[in-house]
Amino acid sequence: MSSLFERSAETLDRARSGDAFAPTPGAEPEPEPTALAAIALDDDAARRWLASAQLPDGSFGLTAGPVENDAATGLAALALPPSDERERALDHLVATPARTLPSDPVVPHDPNVPGWGWALGTAGWVEPTARALLAFRRLRPGATTQIDGAVGFLADRECVGGGWNFGNRSIYYVDLPPFGQTTAAGLIGLHALASGYGLVLGGVDALRRLWPVERGPLTLAMSLAAFRLLGLADAEEVENALERTLDGAPPDVISLAWIALASGPGLSELAVPS
Amino acid sequence: MTPMDRRTFLRRAGIVAAGSAVVGLGAGAAIPSLLDRFHRPWDDDAFAPPGRPKVLVARAASYGVDLESIVEEGLAEVGGSLAGRSVLLKPNFVEYDPETVINTDPRLVAATVLAVRRLGASSVLVAEGPGHRRDTPFVVSASGLGERLGEVGARFVDLNLAPVTRVRLHSRFTELGELWLPAPVVDADVVISMPKMKTHHWAGATLSMKNCFGCVPGRIYGWPKNVLHWAGLQEAIVDVASAVRPELQIVDGIVGMEGNGPIDGTPVQAGVLVFGTDPVATDSTAALLMGLNPAGIWHVNEAGRFLGQADPERIVQIGEDPERSMTSFDVLPVFEGLTIGSNPSDAAHAGLGDANA
Repeated sequence: MSSLFERSAETLDRARSGDAFAPTPGAEPEPEPTALAAIALDDDAARRWLASAQLPDGSFGLTAGPVENDAATGLAALALPPSDERERALDHLVATPARTLPSDPVVPHDPNVPGWGWALGTAGWVEPTARALLAFRRLRPGATTQIDGAVGFLADRECVGGGWNFGNRSIYYVDLPPFGQTTAAGLIGLHALASGYGLVLGGVDALRRLWPVERGPLTLAMSLAAFRLLGLADAEEVENALERTLDGAPPDVISLAWIALASGPGLSELAVPS
Repeated sequence: MTPMDRRTFLRRAGIVAAGSAVVGLGAGAAIPSLLDRFHRPWDDDAFAPPGRPKVLVARAASYGVDLESIVEEGLAEVGGSLAGRSVLLKPNFVEYDPETVINTDPRLVAATVLAVRRLGASSVLVAEGPGHRRDTPFVVSASGLGERLGEVGARFVDLNLAPVTRVRLHSRFTELGELWLPAPVVDADVVISMPKMKTHHWAGATLSMKNCFGCVPGRIYGWPKNVLHWAGLQEAIVDVASAVRPELQIVDGIVGMEGNGPIDGTPVQAGVLVFGTDPVATDSTAALLMGLNPAGIWHVNEAGRFLGQADPERIVQIGEDPERSMTSFDVLPVFEGLTIGSNPSDAAHAGLGDANA
């Protein structure tokens, strides 16, 4: 077990909010950090809290008045054991693709591949779509319509030269650059998928350029997860960079959970056999 | 500092001001119809009638000048009251790109920390919830903000991750009804909105009101905060600003951004800082300094009905002569009607939004 995993897992364990986890230590628990930590630490108490936090529509997330952010649903499904709760989470994802608008020359996109959004009733974006893709591939591989749709979305939103930003390829005829963290998210969703091979190649090229200059804890942690899932030796160098990150003040709990997940045995819970 | 009536400024700037009708000049389809003017989607008792705010324009040729003194003097001149109060500075760090000038300059943020302390604030923290990037520590570090804040001993809070509090909206330009805002924003005695002076490809300009989008947490509203775009971008600007209610504003126009802002525009040396206590009046003045007609910017126009003062005759202009400080910012063709001296055009744009500041 790596020293990075041991250090991050210990710090993460100390950041609990009761049985679950919040974005910052001691705050109210939320589904996203709890799902990530449950996988990273193989933590049954966190899984039980997560199951209890499922909303009536099967989703996991945060409700704020009329806004329902259900983007943690894919992660929660991955964290839960085989159960009705897990199936209902996947059913929710099947039932709630993002909204689309007609394609617009200033924001070109393919409305036939909506992807998944951060909040119900809004447009699709890279990270929530990559999460949904991974959940379907691992847990419901027969959902080929959803899987193909998610791959199509990622292909549609791929930046020129490979990789992804939050999800707009260009605005007003200007190509937008990829980001490290969202490129890693896309690669995590697509790893070991034959139909995504070209996207993965471009994404890896982009991530190799980006992570050395975008050295935030979340970017590095998700880059480590992506490189490890892809079986690439780049992981070692990223892991060394993350070790140095932990030498300072602890990062936020979501980043910390990603570090523990990416560097430890929990990553196998995200792996899809090729 | 020499007071200057806004009407004088407008005349010199080439806008034919005609009493209260000025709010309609150049707005084209962005102007509400007469019928719309009877629609008042806000709680009257929640907003004091707009007064006669001061707006100060200060010259600053570069970020190497004594910004701390300029900011201290600017805040004092407009009537900022900070003694014994907790202050939250909200600069614009929606994302970071070393090739351009998206962000409020970190040197200005650090100078403001020091100035606010000199004005007696009980505490000051710097906070932002980047709209495009989840990895806020990267943005803070790469932009140089972290280093500058370290030099002045100021704390940074990631508003995308902070605990949230439900805030009922007292304006209803969107159907959101409520916002969940970070506790540091809600709990601060004074929020100072510190936008970069930029054009915006959906809203025309992004200034102190639009900058309040960074107070809306991404873990609820997304990256980008697409909920606000679906709710109606310009409408959301008004509702969010009316919820955050920044008591003070400092617009970083030393180097602004023109063209395809707020992310992919071109740096433009404008050499000004704008100070105010009324976000509508401040944004109106800043727009004029960009060579844009504020009456054509939908959210400025609407906010001027209840949130602050948009009537040029009722804004007391102090500081530098705005006419000599004006720099004409290039805009995208869809916003050509905003440029002072041009024909009116529809400034509104609906669709997939990307940017949050």
